[in-house]
Amino acid sequence: MSNLFPKSVNKLPLQILIFIGITTGVVLAGITYYATPKYTRVGYAPIQPVPFSHALHSGQLGIDCRYCHSNVDKSAHSNIPTAQTCMNCHSPGLIKGDSPLLAPVRASFESGNPVPWVNIHVVPDYAYFNHAVHVARGVSCVECHGRINEMEVVHHAKPLSMAWCLDCHRAPEKVLRDPALVTNLDWQHPGGPAAQIEQGRKFVHDWNIQPPQSCSGCHR
Amino acid sequence: MKRTFDHSAPEQTNTDGALTGPRYWRSLDELAETPGFQEQMAREFPEGADNLNGVDRRRFFKLMAASFALGGAGLASGCRRPEEHILAFGRSVEHSIPGLPLYYASAFPLRRNAVPILAETHQGRPTKIEGNPSFAPYGGATNALVQASVLDLYDPDRATTHTIRGTAANAARIQDLLAEIGTQARADGGNGLVFLAESSGSPTRERLVARLRREFPQALWAEYDAVRDEPPAAAARAAFGRDVKPVYRFAKAKRVVALDADFFGAESGSIGYIRDFAKARRAHTVDAEINRLYSVESTFTLTGSMADHRLRLASSHLLAFAAALFGAVTGSADYAALSTGLQFKDQEKWLAECAKDLLAHRGQALVVAGSHLPAEVHAIVYALNAALDAIGNTVDFVAAPAPAEAGIAEVVARLNAGNVRTLVILGGNPVYNAPADLQFAAALRRAQQVVRLGYYVDETSAAFPAGAHVAAAHYLESWGDARTTDGTIVAIQPMILPLFGGISEIELLARILGEGKPDGYSLVFQTITGLNALGGTEGEKGFRQFLHDGFVAGSAYQVVNPAINAGGLRELLAAARPPVPVTREALEVRFTLDAKMDDGRFANNGWLQECPDPMTKIAWDNAILVSPALGRELGIEPGGSAIQVARKNSAHFVRGMDRAFVGELTVNGRVLRGPLHIQPGLANYTVAVALGYGRGVTGRVGTGVGFDAYQVRLSDNLGYATGATLTLVPGSFHLLANTQQHWSMEGRDIVREANVDEFRQNPGFVAGMGMEAHSPAIFGDFTPEEFAKLPREERARITSERAQFTPRGGSLKETPDFSGPNAFLDGVHQWAMSIDLNTCIGCNACVIACQAENNIPIVGKDQVLRGREMHWIRLDRYYSDGKIEGGAFGGPGNSIIPEDPQVSLQPMTCQHCELAPCETVCPVNATVHDQEGLNTMAYNRCIGTRYCANNCPYKVRRFNFFDYNQRQLDKLYLGPLAPKGMPELVKMVKNPDVTVRMRGVMEKCTYCVQRIQAAKIAQKVKAGPSPDVVVPDGAFTVACAQACPAEAIVFGNIKDPTTRVSRLKALEQDYAVLGYLNIRPRTTYLGKLRNPNPEMPDYASLPLSRQEYLKKAYPAEMKGHHGQASPTHTGPGPRQGTTEDKAPNPAHRPQTSLGKFLFGGNR
Repeated sequence: MSNLFPKSVNKLPLQILIFIGITTGVVLAGITYYATPKYTRVGYAPIQPVPFSHALHSGQLGIDCRYCHSNVDKSAHSNIPTAQTCMNCHSPGLIKGDSPLLAPVRASFESGNPVPWVNIHVVPDYAYFNHAVHVARGVSCVECHGRINEMEVVHHAKPLSMAWCLDCHRAPEKVLRDPALVTNLDWQHPGGPAAQIEQGRKFVHDWNIQPPQSCSGCHR
Repeated sequence: MKRTFDHSAPEQTNTDGALTGPRYWRSLDELAETPGFQEQMAREFPEGADNLNGVDRRRFFKLMAASFALGGAGLASGCRRPEEHILAFGRSVEHSIPGLPLYYASAFPLRRNAVPILAETHQGRPTKIEGNPSFAPYGGATNALVQASVLDLYDPDRATTHTIRGTAANAARIQDLLAEIGTQARADGGNGLVFLAESSGSPTRERLVARLRREFPQALWAEYDAVRDEPPAAAARAAFGRDVKPVYRFAKAKRVVALDADFFGAESGSIGYIRDFAKARRAHTVDAEINRLYSVESTFTLTGSMADHRLRLASSHLLAFAAALFGAVTGSADYAALSTGLQFKDQEKWLAECAKDLLAHRGQALVVAGSHLPAEVHAIVYALNAALDAIGNTVDFVAAPAPAEAGIAEVVARLNAGNVRTLVILGGNPVYNAPADLQFAAALRRAQQVVRLGYYVDETSAAFPAGAHVAAAHYLESWGDARTTDGTIVAIQPMILPLFGGISEIELLARILGEGKPDGYSLVFQTITGLNALGGTEGEKGFRQFLHDGFVAGSAYQVVNPAINAGGLRELLAAARPPVPVTREALEVRFTLDAKMDDGRFANNGWLQECPDPMTKIAWDNAILVSPALGRELGIEPGGSAIQVARKNSAHFVRGMDRAFVGELTVNGRVLRGPLHIQPGLANYTVAVALGYGRGVTGRVGTGVGFDAYQVRLSDNLGYATGATLTLVPGSFHLLANTQQHWSMEGRDIVREANVDEFRQNPGFVAGMGMEAHSPAIFGDFTPEEFAKLPREERARITSERAQFTPRGGSLKETPDFSGPNAFLDGVHQWAMSIDLNTCIGCNACVIACQAENNIPIVGKDQVLRGREMHWIRLDRYYSDGKIEGGAFGGPGNSIIPEDPQVSLQPMTCQHCELAPCETVCPVNATVHDQEGLNTMAYNRCIGTRYCANNCPYKVRRFNFFDYNQRQLDKLYLGPLAPKGMPELVKMVKNPDVTVRMRGVMEKCTYCVQRIQAAKIAQKVKAGPSPDVVVPDGAFTVACAQACPAEAIVFGNIKDPTTRVSRLKALEQDYAVLGYLNIRPRTTYLGKLRNPNPEMPDYASLPLSRQEYLKKAYPAEMKGHHGQASPTHTGPGPRQGTTEDKAPNPAHRPQTSLGKFLFGGNR
């Protein structure tokens, strides 16, 4: 009766513990990496009803972001242009006025029914992000949206997670620039990162920049 | 070894063993100190507030296990974020910027008393109403009704289709019907055509009615208002011989006598009156001259609660009182006969001294009579005002057009004669609220055809099912115009197209008249451009200016101030008779205009139903209010208990619920059944019933709430009736949702009060009260008394420094180090609030404004009964009678229900303590401090432990026990699979800038953080690349402060010592509630002042609450003041109406600590 269990069983508890430890570690590591916006959101590039190319309009033609997103410096919400804005250039008889790709835009202008653009950059409803204040105080579009002017199809470039927001709110000097340059997505400080930080510190001081880090800054 | 501390027993103060007792009480029950109440006070929520309905813990877990199993099945499908679309307009819309609100000037119409407003719209849907600040008399203030009116727009129960004979009819059929009526009337001159409408100041309607009278001479135009908020026209015709109405100028009145007049609520133009009264009441300097209010009334109104001298008198005796006062003021005996039979305590002296005071302020005195009183009273009051030189000074008579000649009685007469072919009922609800003797419903059935314009399908629509119901448009979705009470023409603009195709009153009239352009815009355009008032800017431009401003400047009624016509007056009063006595066998019944329901039109408004009545604090019900004396005689006084000898309950409190006796009121031969509620301050044999409840046919919210007092109201006297009897219905009880039982603060020095004479000597009287007055300096280097002696600028500077440089918070979160490189962490602003208790009148405007701004749900009567109401700001109403004994037990002062209490009102909301007790106990850091001094709530972190609510000394945190936003109120207790979701219509009223909270989350006042952030962001956008980021003072304010008609709430930045709030907080009478806890609330209060006349027989040398405070805090000094004054102490005594209550003789000032702080330590 005494040899019911072989001697190797003595190691079993330890083996079980190690197994559990490794499994937990892998699962946790997996969640930490894959279940965050950095993984789940970045790269999201849905197909839009009209294959609008930012690379062409913004990049090649150099149209300012604010020609279409005209309320970005006034409102919390940066507006998607109305079909009427598109028709300023794409009316029949003007540029590509009869392109079949633009049919949804023309239809929208005629009927008033909106073009169902797919939302890419979403922050949760309980986070009240405000575009106007960032743009007015020298935070460029590129900081959150990436190089839109090089994207044929817009994709989600940055995580837009709370930790990612706070990175910037804790060190605003890394991104601040002259508000006149915010829509110039190619601009980088000519002096390199060190000069950017030096100039950023000056802006933080001169403009009294105090990005909120409390809950009330974004959650209401 | 365990150490034990020997706490000495409370000092015995008198021989019968009385102990030190509470000083303020919010209900008779609290005063009674019943064991049940004691237990309740020890609890955070009343018993049952945190229990499921009849479900014990074991059963709960069983259910939960099952629901988790079911919930797991649904998880798999919902874990990815759904694809969302951004839907931009096809064509750009002028002025529309997604994400920014747009404001339009408009007006809230109510009878002849429109309120100019600014409506806030988000993407075309109105969400919030603010007052129009350009309209000077109201200065941007509103009231609870205006604030709540936006909810009616989105009421799912409103009439959503036109119907003819009960079947839906489209707009074209309705137009045909109306055109047909017009054609018929044109053919026969309007014979058999009758219109019944509510009164209105609309110039467009006036124009259309004039045309109607011209073109259809046989037609009858009648107006009926169920309640009266303007004096009867007959009084002005008799006294002045012409049609005028009074507009009071309270800002100029130093002495005011109110005869049953609730000019804070029930009178037309009350918003402006509150504002003006507060101006004359405010004491921001030591030598400020403060007005004095005498109130003679049968019920306890908010106006009465502000009175410095209040006399309880039956409404039917007010004619006698007015006559007697007229005699005392003028010395004439013209109306002496009318005052025979008038009898009250110290009558001669009361009248003589009051008259003397009025005469001493000739030209600055004002007498106001309640609109419900008969014309005779008003006529005497007009004469009295003329004798006091008030006319032209404190009251102006303006040439307002008279109301329509014909009333509802003429309509009923025509109906009964059987010669009404078509009855057009515009708004109103006569079947519900017509005088009972007219039997309107029966008469209505004699009409051949009825066309009803109504916002709801209500009693009137239901009474004639064969008629046509035309869905009315809300004022926020229709064009119109109106007049304010002073006659200024205001614009009504639509914010949104009619949600259900409703039409407005003027459109309906225009269709019948066959106007060329019967749309609202054209009608109003034609009226306004036709006015001479627009002067040089006529036409399109002038009209645009009108819409922009919201009113036509200078269009108010002309001030005429005619001379008194003595002959007419005599003629009117010749028929008047002296009053008959009001007794237990022949009670007087006063029909009161409800502060929330108005005449019943707001019955389906959940915000208003759930708002507690300002005085009784009862929500979701009305009650038959009886005086304590009558309660005793009825035998419904408190039952008491074996171990306490204090006062008895007015009702049985079972699990915190007010279980009221049910009584039957027989009046005018009709019987009314309702719950009885003892209301201190009522005239002994007057019972008060509020109108507007007991609706039979309306939406889901209002049907069957309360009882219908219109059933017993007859047309001969709509304000009150006499000869009633009241009997108990044995064994019948009714639960009243009484919020005054909850959230008790166990009466300490919560509201600090002084008389004006003491304030003049010692403006810092508040510093001498409370526990912190006797301790070493709690915060900083100064005790409160030392702090109060500093110059004001110094105090503002120190307050600013303290706000910036002392550590805050106390949460698990690390307190930031504000020095060195982290200095920038200290906010740009430091937010704080000041509430002036001296001008707060307790009107509830702030409660509803907060509810509208912050997406606060309603919870329903059942939940309010359990103490789960969600209001972020509440008004605490304390009674005090000065007779409380030093001890809680045994004294005679404790064993009777006070009949003449003073009222202290206090708005209570999150105080944003710098060392907030709620933060230290939150296990998940859901409530933490931000850099600018806000005690924030991160809803997403909250796990609902409710520790914070337990630890809050102000009881201002609110918990979402259920998903109030997702569930209908009758489906709260259903399981997880029960229908959920908010109707689309209800979603539209939500403020998009504020999170809608879910079940299991704690919430509370945030100082309107969304407004703060919006103002900061606007300032930063404006600043751009410059350091100018400080929001200027006055650039924005919080919702409660914006609505407040008394301007009692002021919000702002105390980092800057020159802002308005900083200057208010630097006043000597500024104090923190529960200041001794050293939690440093950011909201502080200004002490309340009373201004009694030392010559009056009911003069109290100290406010009654203060007497109670002293009796508790200084039992030794106060001993001997209950009965005979001892020779050595002539300190303040209780209000007994005897000579010992005179102000203490300066020569006999006691040299005690009491005397020291009563009369200033430096004297």
